[in-house]
Amino acid sequence: MQLRLDQLGLDYYSILPETITSVVGVVIMMVDAFSKRGARRANATLALVGLGGALAAIVGLWAEPPGSSFSGMIVTDHLRLFFSGIAVLSAIIAVLVALQFLKDEALPPGEFFSLLMFGTCGMLIMAAAGDLVTIFLGLEISSITSYVMAGYRRTDLRANESSLKYFLLGSFSTAFLLYGMTLIYGATATTNIEHIRQAIATGQMPFPQLLLIGAAMMFIGFAFKIGSAPFHLWTPDVYEGAPTLVTAFMATGPKAAVFAAFLRVFTSGFNAPASAAGLGLQSRWVAALAIIAVITMTVGNVIALNQRNIKRMLAYSSIAHAGYALVGFVTGDWGPVAFYMLTYTVMNLGAFTVIQMLARAGDEKTMIADYAGIGFEAPGLSFLLAVFLLSLAGIPPTAGFMGKFFVFKEAWNNAPNLHWLVVAAIINSIISIYYYLYPLVVMFFRPAPERFVKPRVSVPVAVALAITLIATFYLGILPNGVFGLLDSGQPRAAQVFSVK
Amino acid sequence: MNSIVTVITFLPAIGAVVLVLYSLLQSREGAEQVNPYRWITLLFTVATFIASLGIFSGYDASVAGPQLATKVPWIESLGVSYYVGVDGISLWLVPLTTLLMPVSVLASWHITKRVREYMIFMLILETGMLGVFVSLDMFLFYLFFEITLIPMYFLIGVWGGERRIYAAIKFFIYTVVGSLLMLVAIIAVYQINGSTTFDIVEITKNLPARLQNVSHAAQYLLWGAFALAFFIKVPLWPLHTWLPDAHVEAPTAGSIILAGVLLKMGTYGLMRFNLPFFPQISRDAATWVMVLCVIGIIYGALVAMVQPDMKKLVAYSSVSHMAFVVMGIFSFTQQGMQGALYQMLNHGISTGALFLCVGIIYERRHTRLIEEFGGVATPMPQYSTMFLIISLSSLGLPLLNGFIGEFLILLGTFSSTVVPHARTFAVLGATGVILSAVYLLWMLQRVLFGETTKKENQELEDMDLREKVALIPLVVMAMVMGVAPMLFLRASDKTVDGVRQIVVPDRGKTERVAK
Repeated sequence: MQLRLDQLGLDYYSILPETITSVVGVVIMMVDAFSKRGARRANATLALVGLGGALAAIVGLWAEPPGSSFSGMIVTDHLRLFFSGIAVLSAIIAVLVALQFLKDEALPPGEFFSLLMFGTCGMLIMAAAGDLVTIFLGLEISSITSYVMAGYRRTDLRANESSLKYFLLGSFSTAFLLYGMTLIYGATATTNIEHIRQAIATGQMPFPQLLLIGAAMMFIGFAFKIGSAPFHLWTPDVYEGAPTLVTAFMATGPKAAVFAAFLRVFTSGFNAPASAAGLGLQSRWVAALAIIAVITMTVGNVIALNQRNIKRMLAYSSIAHAGYALVGFVTGDWGPVAFYMLTYTVMNLGAFTVIQMLARAGDEKTMIADYAGIGFEAPGLSFLLAVFLLSLAGIPPTAGFMGKFFVFKEAWNNAPNLHWLVVAAIINSIISIYYYLYPLVVMFFRPAPERFVKPRVSVPVAVALAITLIATFYLGILPNGVFGLLDSGQPRAAQVFSVK
Repeated sequence: MNSIVTVITFLPAIGAVVLVLYSLLQSREGAEQVNPYRWITLLFTVATFIASLGIFSGYDASVAGPQLATKVPWIESLGVSYYVGVDGISLWLVPLTTLLMPVSVLASWHITKRVREYMIFMLILETGMLGVFVSLDMFLFYLFFEITLIPMYFLIGVWGGERRIYAAIKFFIYTVVGSLLMLVAIIAVYQINGSTTFDIVEITKNLPARLQNVSHAAQYLLWGAFALAFFIKVPLWPLHTWLPDAHVEAPTAGSIILAGVLLKMGTYGLMRFNLPFFPQISRDAATWVMVLCVIGIIYGALVAMVQPDMKKLVAYSSVSHMAFVVMGIFSFTQQGMQGALYQMLNHGISTGALFLCVGIIYERRHTRLIEEFGGVATPMPQYSTMFLIISLSSLGLPLLNGFIGEFLILLGTFSSTVVPHARTFAVLGATGVILSAVYLLWMLQRVLFGETTKKENQELEDMDLREKVALIPLVVMAMVMGVAPMLFLRASDKTVDGVRQIVVPDRGKTERVAK
């Protein structure tokens, strides 16, 4: 069989964002190699330029009609571009904060920025994946850079523990995912997600017996990666041990990218209408997802009630938010989950950045008790943290409320059998309010400490905080612009998810 | 489109922004000066009050629907619009809010720490409260309903009394339980109505027909979700336990606002949502709601009687009086519902003034225990007169406002043909009037009258100009509302009749409020 180059679908414009980020990552490594003492500002500028270029490429690709390239391995549609935007946004904020973080802790900047760029490239590939192998590729690139960044404070034992735990459990979960992918390949004889969907719909599968177990393994793999219960045990330790800035990045960008891949595989790939050949796959995974979502939310919220370390508390809050986002899967459209991940990213980036500032070099002060009385001493930072915590709790008029409202409304409308899921999510939101209010109580209602030194906030960090603050209120009050972007350009498949 | 309602609602928020900007422009020494913040806030709250009087010029009492409305599409893909306006139910609640705010600001003059933040929270709170009353879109209503929680939470938690942290957290979580469940009900109502709009006026027209397809149990749950949120806010026994803590621990102005306005958001919600959206369920539930009201009236009064702390006594009197209002609403008669609306206004004025009186004397003696006082009328005659008038208004003496409201409610309940055992409830509720006389008069006797036994009480100073300016308008309103109720009742007559017709249709000619 002759391989013809023009049939491969080589469309380099469609992978422009990924190309830019990886090239810039290499350039940063070069600049770092040939400069004395790391050239922190130069590398950060390069990173920002690269990320800006990737963002421009994403905007440019937006106008393109939906399609696939590279023999279906890369898909270009609004789902991909929206999640790519979220990934690049989290990277930009991370770069802005990293300038001060790396300077305060005297850590080598070159590797950090290039790891960040490669991680972003991995996230972009994951979001753009139209094929299971591409998902694996992007996931591994993103994961490995995260493992290294988590342990970036080489001399800190907690960071070492966090990095190693993340590496071991991450590899373990990737193995689940990979095995699931191979079983799906065995069942359908293809790894292209669109072809998988067609195979299930038409029933032309060489080995249908492997379908359910393959889907289950992939489900477990993805569930591990997003930190949902009962696969969440790595999240609090990893988030607590890693440097706060790295936690901010890991908790938002890569998680959003994994959600994109999760969405595509399950709501596009395993989404054939109920047919005998499909073995009821769709209703089964919706049922499993609903149960996992409830368990995740509940575990995350209940355990967070008891936390006294703010990073750990936010880690459990991330687990709970993954649960709320999973509710969005039953809506039959990618819009609610995408919007929720955007609001989640913005809120968490802001909250972790403030915590980074208040925690000082080396993450000295991360216990909630360290925050006693600083509310009026550092009013700017405390106000920001208050806004982000209230947004995480889902209080209007913030992004967190709008995200939850959108997801719950769509889930209620489109999944009539799963009303209990929405009610459970609301009850979980009620439970969560207590632990989001608790730092506010400590900050504002307790008397101020003596000899409190206000942390110095550099200009890039101020810019990052301004971006997240404005985004939080913008998404909460005027979400119409962003809602307009959630249109996939194709008529929405009228699918009502039912659970047996 | 008329924009006066938007101006009234957001003028306090603009004041908050002005405060922030002003403080940013200050030097370090200038920032220590607290008086500018107080005066700027007072200016904005008085300006909002004057602006709110403007809604009467455009209001036509013969129209039942919303007027002075502004409707602008806001989040089209969700069906949410910025829809604000006033109708008969909300018309008088707006000036009630804007009147109590300057009073509260005047009552906050003695706050010395973090004055800027205090005033900012007060102004944001005012915008939130006004937004609740003028919102005609369910999403917008929910937004403002939740927004009021945060400033109140901070006001109690930072500037409150000893157990303020406990009281603030309890207030927040208790209220939010109800409102988050109400969010589910809002989403469900939106879906039942066809997933097109959150517009309250449209849903009121369409929903009862669309509810035919929904099972009785599901309707009850939806009604219950709304009712839970509002019963917690009212507060109706047995969901009242957050109130005594919140009221006692809040600063004086916080208590005035909480009792004067925030509690009305609950009863307003009942008239805006529960009755029009679910008329049949409201009729079905009326009996046990009345039972809760009667228990609330009597329980609140009995517990108030044994309180050693004046503020807690007034707090429990709130529980008792607001249960009256709910009883009036669920009587489904024109007198009862008009009386309930009127009593909302009365309670705002009289209980707000009661908390102000308690606050005035607390500022002097730093205690609220009744036993610490006695014979205060001798050194403070003007204060005692005002305190007496307000208490008489609260217990319902004729010629003062409380009488009109309570009389109409009891008359309406007694004559209700929709609610079974209505007469029993009315009789039992009337005992609440007697009990309120007991606890209020007994408190007055112990605090104000008799010999001035304690030496500290003999040297008390009477009210200064600021306190008089804060208290006298409320006293005057109490008297005016007592002798000229038709001024106020006329505006709401048509709208209340409209709501009543939804709940009890085909009842023949409307019963007008007796002149």
